[in-house]
This record gives sequence, C-alpha cells and structure tokens, in this order.
Amino acid sequence: MSEILQRWRLVFARGEEARYLSHLDAVKGWERAFRRGEIPVATSEGFSPRPKLVFAAPLQLGMLAEHELADLFLAEKLTAPDLRERLSAGMPRGYRVLGLDNVWIGAAALAPRLAAADYRMTLLNVEQPRLAAASERLMASERLMRDRHKEARTVTYDLRPLILDLRVGPSDPAALPPEIGGIEAGPIAATGLWMRLRHSQNLGSGRADEVVAALADEMGMAAVPASGTEEEVEAAGERDGALATPERDASQPPLEVLRPVRERLWLAEELER
Amino acid sequence: MVVRPELAGPFHDPKPLTEAAVERVLNHVRKPGRYAGGEWNSVRKDWAATALKWCFAYPDLYEIGMSNLGLRILYEVLNDRPDTLAERCFAPDVDLQTELRAARLPLWSLESRRALRDFDVIGLSLGFELVCANMLSMLDLGGTGLTTAERSESDPLVIAGGSIVLNPEPFADFLDAVVLGEGEDVVLEISDVLESIGWNRRVPDSAALAPAAAPAAAGEWRRGVDRTTALRALAAIPGVYVPSFYRPRYLDDGRFDGLEPLDAAAPATVTGRIAADFETNVRGIRQLVPNIGIVFDRAQLEVMRGCTRGCRFCGAGMQSRPLRERAPDVAVDAAEAILRATGYEEIGLTSLSTADYTYVREVATELRRRRPNTVLSIPSTRVDAFTVELVDAIVPTGHRGGFTFAPEAGSQRLRDTINKGVSDEEIARCAQLAFDRGWSSVKLYFMIGLPGETTADVLAIAAISKRVLDMGRRRHGNRAQVKVSLSTFVPKVMTPFQWDGQDTTLEIQAKVDALRTALHGKGLAMSWHDPTASILEAALGRGDRRLGAVIRLAWQKGARFDAWDEHFNYPTWLAAFAEAGLDPAWYAQRDIPTDEPLPWTHLGAGVSTAFLLRDRKRAFDAMTTIDCHWGPCSNCGVPAATGFACETGEQGPRRLLLNVGDGERSWQYVGPPGDPRRAGGSVSDATGANVDGGRDGRRGWPYDLLGREMQSKDASLTGLASLVEAAGGESSA
Repeated sequence: MSEILQRWRLVFARGEEARYLSHLDAVKGWERAFRRGEIPVATSEGFSPRPKLVFAAPLQLGMLAEHELADLFLAEKLTAPDLRERLSAGMPRGYRVLGLDNVWIGAAALAPRLAAADYRMTLLNVEQPRLAAASERLMASERLMRDRHKEARTVTYDLRPLILDLRVGPSDPAALPPEIGGIEAGPIAATGLWMRLRHSQNLGSGRADEVVAALADEMGMAAVPASGTEEEVEAAGERDGALATPERDASQPPLEVLRPVRERLWLAEELER
Repeated sequence: MVVRPELAGPFHDPKPLTEAAVERVLNHVRKPGRYAGGEWNSVRKDWAATALKWCFAYPDLYEIGMSNLGLRILYEVLNDRPDTLAERCFAPDVDLQTELRAARLPLWSLESRRALRDFDVIGLSLGFELVCANMLSMLDLGGTGLTTAERSESDPLVIAGGSIVLNPEPFADFLDAVVLGEGEDVVLEISDVLESIGWNRRVPDSAALAPAAAPAAAGEWRRGVDRTTALRALAAIPGVYVPSFYRPRYLDDGRFDGLEPLDAAAPATVTGRIAADFETNVRGIRQLVPNIGIVFDRAQLEVMRGCTRGCRFCGAGMQSRPLRERAPDVAVDAAEAILRATGYEEIGLTSLSTADYTYVREVATELRRRRPNTVLSIPSTRVDAFTVELVDAIVPTGHRGGFTFAPEAGSQRLRDTINKGVSDEEIARCAQLAFDRGWSSVKLYFMIGLPGETTADVLAIAAISKRVLDMGRRRHGNRAQVKVSLSTFVPKVMTPFQWDGQDTTLEIQAKVDALRTALHGKGLAMSWHDPTASILEAALGRGDRRLGAVIRLAWQKGARFDAWDEHFNYPTWLAAFAEAGLDPAWYAQRDIPTDEPLPWTHLGAGVSTAFLLRDRKRAFDAMTTIDCHWGPCSNCGVPAATGFACETGEQGPRRLLLNVGDGERSWQYVGPPGDPRRAGGSVSDATGANVDGGRDGRRGWPYDLLGREMQSKDASLTGLASLVEAAGGESSA
C-alpha cells in the first residue's frame, strides 16, 4: 500500500458515450485514465494492488448521470488545476469532471453518508394519467415486496420505504426526437417520471429500475429493460432458457425506459440543510 | 428470397441514427456496450468535411474484433489521413439482429451511427472461413446489396482482406475487391485512387441507375464514377484482386479447369502485398481501448511479422513471409508509446512465434526495467518454440496456468513429416523443465488426420502424453496433470499440404476413440472438437466460386456465428450444399492431383508452387526443412515474388543492426542461435532469473526447447483465442 497524501472529492457526470458500462468496466476505465494522465493514485493493499478510487454508489449500466461522487486518493500532492489537467488528458470518453474538492484524508467514507438519489426518465407506451394513478397506488401502499436475485438465491425485500418521492409529469422533450425510433406509424405515448430514492445503511438502496418494474407490475405491463444488473439479467436469461428472441406481446407494448438519468446523489448533511 | 430490411430515411443525405432509436433497440439486447462506441482512441470526424468514408466491418462479435491488431492498425492508418475517415462495425449478436429487423433499423457504425450503406467503402476483415454467414448478415442489415451483381451504383464498394482471402473464390460473389497480403500501404493507395476518380462524389441524378433490388430512393443521386470504372482502377493497384473480372471454367466431372480474365484491366496473376517499412515504422500506436472486456484486453506490439519455421500444415506461417523483425530499440520505444497512449496495464509482444524473435530477451528485459509494473505477455498461441526459461522469467508466479506445448504429432516420423522436427527427448526435457520450474499442469496440442498419419502415429500421442505425466508425477505427485487437446487437420491453401485431403469423419472418429481408450487414467484429460466444423473450414478454405451459392443458401437457412459451438449447425450447411448440388466432402477430403489447376493458382502469397511441391516431397520422405532464420535458404520464392531482399540464412537478420541504439543504451548483435556470441552471454532480467538457455552444448537457445504458453487468464478462453488466432493477429484490410 502506498502512503496517502491527498484526498480529492470528484463530482462528475456521465454522458451518452459511457453509459453502457457496468460498474466493473467503469472502474477499469478510470484506472486506465489515471495511467494515461500519469496521476499518482495511491494503491490499495493486497496481492494485486488497485488504485484507490472510491465511488459513493455504483452507477447501473445504461444510466446517465449528472452529479456523481467519488473520492480519489493520491500518493503525491497535486494542485487542483494540475489534477484537473491530468484528468482531462486521460478521462474516459463520456465523463465530465464538474468539481474537485480537496478533502481531509481522514474524513468519513462517502458511501455510508449517502442518504438519497434523484432520478428522472421518460417512460414510453404509457399515458400520463395511467402512470400517475399507478404511482399513487404505489405510494399509498404500506409495503411493496419485491424479489431480488443474488446469484443462486432470491431475496425478498420491501421497496416501499426506499421510495421517498415519486412524481409523474410530461415527458422531457429533449428525450423525444420527432422520429423516435424511426419506426412508429403513429404517435407514441410518453410520460416523464421523477423519483427520490433512499440510500440507507440498514434498509439498503432503492433502485430506479425496481421502481419502474413495480409500476409496470401495477399496470400489468412488462418492463424494458428488465430490472437488475447485467449479470443478473444474463443469469435470469439463462435460467429461463430465453436467450435471443424477446417475446413481444403485440396487444400490450412494454413499459420502455428512455434516457434514465441519476440527477444527483445526496449526502445526509446536504439533505438536512 | 433474400430478406432485405425496409430502409428508412433518405439515401443520399445520410443522417445518423438518433440516440433514442439506438437506445430503444439496445434496451432489448445483452451487452449493449458492444454497440455503443465511444472508446478511448476512437475517432469521430466531421462527416461532411471528410472526403472518403471507410467503415471496417468485422464479421464477428465485438469482443473478438476489438482484439484484432490488424483492425487497430488500419483504423489508425486511415484516420491519420486528413481526407479519410474510418469507422467500425462488428457483427451484431443474434439478439440485436432480431431487434434490428423488428425495428426496421439498419446496422450502424459505432462512431457516427450511420448505416453501412452510407459509406464509400466497406472494409471487410475475413480472418476465418466460418464467419462468412456473418458477413452476409452485416451486408444485408447494413443495407447494401449482398453480391457485387446486386449492388446499386450508390452502394459502397465491399473490399475484403485478412488471412483467408488468399483463396477468396468461395466468397467472391459478395466481394467487389480483395486485398491480398498486408494492408497498411494498400488502404492508402485505394483511398488515393477512389478519391481521384470521384467515387466519393455525389451527383444528383433523376434517372435511376439502381437495379430493381435496391430501394427506389437510390435513384436520386449517383456517384461521380460508375462501379465498373472504379473496379478497373482498383484492379490496377498491386495486390488488389477484382473477382468479377474473371470467370472460372469447370470440367464436366466438376473439377476446376481454370479462370479467364473478362476485362483488359484484369491482370493474369495477383500477388499479396507486404508493408514497406515494417521493421522501422510502427503503425497502430493509439490503439483502441474497449469500454467492455474483450478477449485480448491488452495493448499489442507486433515484434516480428512472417515465420520461417516452415511447419507444413500452417497457412499463416507459409503465407506471411518474408520474415521481418523489429529492431529492439524500435520495439521498446513503440511499446512505451502504445502503453502511454492507451493506459493499458498489459502489453503482448505478438507475432506468429515470438520466441523466435531474435531480440525477445532484450526487449522483454528492457521493458521490465523501464516499466516494472506493466504485465508482459507473449499471447500468440501459435508459437511452437517457446523457452520455458523465457516464460519463467516473464510470467509472474501466481499468474501461471498450465504450460502448453504443441508437438502437433505423436511420433518423431510424423513430426518430421510436418516439419516440426522435434524429438521425443526434446519434448520430455522441455516438460521436465516446466515441471521443475513449478508448473504442475502441462497441456499438449496435437493434430489428428495429418497427411501420412498411421495408427502407430496416433497411439504415439498417448505414449508421449503418459511419459510426460510420469515426469510430472515424480515432481508434483498426484497434482500433476496432462491435458491433451486434439484438433483436426485442415489443409490450408499455399502450404505444402494444400493438395492433401482431410480424413473422413469415420476415420477421425476411429482415431479419437482409439486415443480415448489409450489415454484413460488419473491425471490425463483429453479434449477434442466436433470435426464437422473442420470439414466446413476445409471445404470453404479449398473451395471454388460455386460455394458462393452454398454460403448464401446456408445463411438464408439461418446459419449464423458458425465459429461458435453454440450456434454451429452442420445440418444447415449440409442442406445448403445439397441444394446447390455440391458435396463438402469432395472439397475437404479429396486428394487433389498436383497437376490439377487449383481455384487459387492465379493468386499468390509469395511462396512458389515449385517450393511447395519440393517441400511436399520432402514431407513424404520424412525430411525436415531447416528454418532459414538461421539455416540455409530453402528457395521458397518469396524474394522473387515480393521484391523483398532477405538477409536471413547464414547471415542472420543483420540488417536490423543499422537501427540499433537509442542514445543511452547500446544494443549489440546477439547472433543467430548457436552463434558463440549468443551462447556465451547470459542475460539476467530484472528479477534475476536467467533467461538464457543456451548452455550444456545443446543446440542453442531458443531452438532446443519447444512449446508455447498461454496466460492462465486466457485458458478459459481457448476457443475464443483460437478464433482470434485464426482471425490473424497481423494486418488485414
């Protein structure tokens, strides 16, 4: 393990070109960026030392982001302009650094202080009143039991306390170009969805795709993409023997997610203010 | 009937697909990162401001195609030129193919998300026969006509390159032009020619030139020059073959009888290109760095091109001559530049046989010194002369899987026949050394069905494997393991065995059964592949133009990703052959008389037919041919065909000395193997391990040892690795 001389809090955004990365692929991409930018990142202990970059919360594959947080530990001291320059020299495509704060090396870790995250997205094939009604029913329910697949076993948990706020509104026009998909004979229903989900040490973290899946269930629709990490979806596909051909129910098009964005992560002290 | 997606959007004013359109299909597929682009070192140029647009189409999955060094090189070569742009497209997995057809969307390029039909040139990389169905899927989904005859005047030119196009005849229907040999220079020459004649210019035209198969919108514009004129101009470039300018003749009994040129622009013969300045100039520094994991997820530096070992079954070795080595200072500087430009943590020193690279110790040692944290690997699985010492010095303990050797044949006689020329004693000594250095598992690669193989040769595989296991037992007890991996011999064009047929499936089955019985026991494991894929590989490899119909039929019947076991369906291909009135066994298993014309005789890689016949005769006399890297010249004909001045043979690769020296460190000529200067000087690497094995009066480093090594992390990817290997880590257009 190398000595840590500096700790920088990175605020960053993730755009189109980097959105289809799994968390592991994203971490690998950052490590390569540090090598390209010749950034003296401190390394972890262990048989194969890894650069010390700690994310507040992993970002799901497919998710865009506007205000993510990570702590970067350096083995040498750099000035902010120098670090910014080195980062921009090697940053993976699709990422933008929005802020750099020099924080105390001994400050508490990010993840446990994370309290909430805001998401917005456009949902296709559903009209606003229908989605609003489903969302109201969801928020009115006392419990919302869902299954989460963890490798071989299935864990049942309550999603409801993880949803702090859920709002339905008109869709984001920026997400909807005129010839959306290039395939439609007629107009397609599109509705905006915004939510604030809880991140809690004891209750767990709310996941936006799980909320969408719950809404879809509520309306008797299928959700696309299916909720879960890439690995989980893959494993589920193999379990069901359904590999290539997705089933299409012509009478009921699925609830499709377009441009899901994690707007921002909230630390506990920021929310209290 | 050919399935053509209905093409949306105006044809002459190509717009990129919208983000939303792409997002909606990607929502439905596995691993969407394959189709998203945005990789480090990928290049997005201003479409409207760039004259000539290439799209490289790689007919296999992203994970395979992005591992290909040829693609990384040519991508940089073309994008470095201000007036051309090169984008990429890989075969969509079956799920995306279904989605694209359902959504009526064309297959798009990763950089600008434009349909393949919007480009001026599609550069197809053909590295393996069994990707041919994917080639059709890509052309069809990309919106271009499938065959040269069906393409409209506005469709792009489809130009193929890669290691299998030395016999492009089975694929000729689908290819406007074929680049033989190395692509670095010729892609620039092609770009010059196409720009000068105006292939990239768009002229409004109300009179539709397009044939009925193309969408009506195609008539709204045409190119500055017609297709035939463009093809004539391409045919004038050395190394470029335009199949449609030739017509094959067949005898009544079905045998190939020759080819007649149909156009004055068509030369009688075409010989493959070699890059002019391989030794001193390294192309492919800013290599693409994928966002998702790929098969060979590391930087690659090609330290040597060509191979003179002369293994008689090996297409790559025979077709890629002359041998060229990079000077050590050129190699080390390039490796550093590539690592800086990519941020990769690992670099592979690649070639067909990296242990044969004269300066492998020097380069490895110097790279270790300069960049102690970078992982070095020697990933080429085709290496058959790897020293245990070299691997021992390079591969860190803890990253070691099984040690892999490739004796290829079980008996000394058969190894002499295929020019492996290694004795049982050498194999044993090599295995012993691997066991002594800590490997407890050894993997042995053998081929079944080699020309002249007898039952005794097959059983000798079991004997040598058991002998190796016994040696491992003495050192490691019950932990010792020997894994025997069998593949089926596939005759490759432009090798001494190009005339020899494969065994029948029954013969192969009998041999494998005999071995399975003989190889039964603890610590021994045997794996082998279904030989039907090898039959298809051989039939397509030695085939003629009539197979174009078979490929198309098989694709129409649903053939996809035939290189992947889970997709390969031999009955589909059998049905296609039957419908076309052809027999795969006739192509794959027939011994072709050496005086019969071959469908690829008019094309050349450099080695002369006279040499191939001479070497074949030596094979059947069980005589070896010495490697001219350090032995006498065997008159293979390459210098005459390519104009390359070989300075190998007794002289050693001395020409490289001109470039030696980087100011600080002085490099010295180490001499050919067996040279006293080499044997005398032991070189220690950074870890203190001795990497010089030329001691004890043996024949000299590294030629007394035989084997190859695959990194442990690649072990589970053997199938993929062999695909990439087949796809050729070298240059391809």
